[in-house]
Amino acid sequence: MRKGIQSWLDERFGLTGITDFLTKKTVPLHKHTIWYYTGSAILLFFAIQVVTGFMLILYYKPTLEMANASVARIMTDVPLGWIIRSVHSWSASFMITFVFVHLLSIWIAKSYRRPRELTWMSGVLLLLISLLFGFTGYLLPWDDLSFSATKVGTDIPRAIPVVGAWVTRLLRGGDDVTGDTLTRFFGIHVCMLPVFLFLLLAIHIYLVQKQGMSLPLEAEGKQEKVKEIPFWPNFVFREMIVWLLLVGILFSVAIFFPPSLEKAADVMAPAPEGIKPEWYFLFLFQTLKIFPAHVLFISGEMLAVLLMIFAGVLFFFLPFFDNKPTGTKGKIITLLAYVFILYALVMSVWSLL
Amino acid sequence: MKIKHSLFSRRQFLNGIIGGWLGAFLASLVYPVVKFIFPPYKEPDEVILPFSDFKDMRPNSVKSFAWGSKLGLVKKNDDDVYVAFVGVCTHLDCNVAYLNEQRKFFCACHDGWYDENGINIGGPPPKPLRRLTLVIAQEELIIKKESPEGNS
Amino acid sequence: MIKKRPSFLLAAFLFLLLLSWGGVFYCSAQQGVAQVQTSTPQEKEEPEKIVGDPQDAKQKTGILVFVAWMWISVFVIVYFLRLKIKEADRLYRLRFYSAKKT
Repeated sequence: MRKGIQSWLDERFGLTGITDFLTKKTVPLHKHTIWYYTGSAILLFFAIQVVTGFMLILYYKPTLEMANASVARIMTDVPLGWIIRSVHSWSASFMITFVFVHLLSIWIAKSYRRPRELTWMSGVLLLLISLLFGFTGYLLPWDDLSFSATKVGTDIPRAIPVVGAWVTRLLRGGDDVTGDTLTRFFGIHVCMLPVFLFLLLAIHIYLVQKQGMSLPLEAEGKQEKVKEIPFWPNFVFREMIVWLLLVGILFSVAIFFPPSLEKAADVMAPAPEGIKPEWYFLFLFQTLKIFPAHVLFISGEMLAVLLMIFAGVLFFFLPFFDNKPTGTKGKIITLLAYVFILYALVMSVWSLL
Repeated sequence: MKIKHSLFSRRQFLNGIIGGWLGAFLASLVYPVVKFIFPPYKEPDEVILPFSDFKDMRPNSVKSFAWGSKLGLVKKNDDDVYVAFVGVCTHLDCNVAYLNEQRKFFCACHDGWYDENGINIGGPPPKPLRRLTLVIAQEELIIKKESPEGNS
Repeated sequence: MIKKRPSFLLAAFLFLLLLSWGGVFYCSAQQGVAQVQTSTPQEKEEPEKIVGDPQDAKQKTGILVFVAWMWISVFVIVYFLRLKIKEADRLYRLRFYSAKKT
């Protein structure tokens, strides 16, 4: 019967093209193969986000008056709502963790070498979208902490010369963080970002399939072929083991360490102590904090923001800078990856002290 | 390969165990999802209202109250007896109205009619209006679900 | 060739067996524990903070049962997946896949 369904679908969709490709696709086996698992791990957590997101959206009310109360209701009244919310919150962190690990492994292994530059660039945009998902989602419970963190976060673009104030007004839906900001962030979080993400993901995944798995630098130029295993079923079974373990860890953490909910934000209250953004923004937050108020005649904040944007642009075009991967420049770029890891770690920890 | 006297080949056995267990595990995830999506809706067991709101009702009139998220109707009969109904048409759930002059409940959706005791007398409604038990205790009006015997 | 049916039957049988096992476990966790209904949402004693957690003892044991069941499932499935991987690798080395012309 399975063969019957398969041939029925194939007659209409032409599925054999895909299935043939999947059976022929191979994955290289070498000491860095473990990093190949990070991509599908991201997909796994994103899928969990979509499913839990679909469920949360059945009860969440994206207005100033009801946002906090609706989350409270999900956590107390709706059966097992607290688990769904907890999974959604933790899976976000897991997903962004793996996004960073994936990015760093590509950076260090220089997998973005020609012809994979576009894969890298679509990946950087995917990173941006993931961070925006986190940023917009963080506001939605509308408690004191997330309200204040959003106030700070949306104030930062104001430091950009010329367009800064306009960007802030665009993000906030006005000059201040209001109910309009909440509704706007909600629309971005559940509607716009998913669309953009799907488009970019399609491009990203297509490119990966089209160009095949990249090899580490050392393997290039070697005469003997690198050992490979077929994608299906050998690599997929291995991936399934990784997924199962990750799901087990995610659910255990979500069940035993569920997030709490503070009371609804008071727009007129002074900022609470200990405002901080989500952990993945901590290093940026701290970077902003250490810049002095003025450097010569330029505002310190403006300098910091401009530097970050500049670094971001360089980062986006990294494959084109790293055109001689084996040379000194290439080694420095690899070193920069480790410097970044150290920097992010130190800055994040510092911001918590 | 499958030995003649064995039920399954090794491959079928492994596939069966993995598939079966994975299926059972995923099915166990379906339970919380379904519970979440279909939260239990409970009607209230009782609703307590201040009697003062209903003391001055004219005979043969009706006053509404909230029965959970449904419409509830308190009716004062001609003999000053209070009764309570769930004011939801038994046909397709529209809220009904009481027409004093005609002494009938009327559902505008499909022309359903009930007499002054909530018995369905005309139109599509298949059953009478649901009754609720009403008790007056001191200054309170206590409305409860009707017990099976019909008494409070 | 190998009949497809037995593998499906085994899977279905195992599936039902495990489901009922899980159900029995869950039900037994409910016995002897008084059922405490969750309070209505209006009763938020401390408006300061709401912690999401299981509402009562019955749910607490149910959750622990689920976590135990989840990890057992994970390890069982991983164990069998490893067997499948060993087999798949062996077949690949024997050029079983490259020889196959579908």
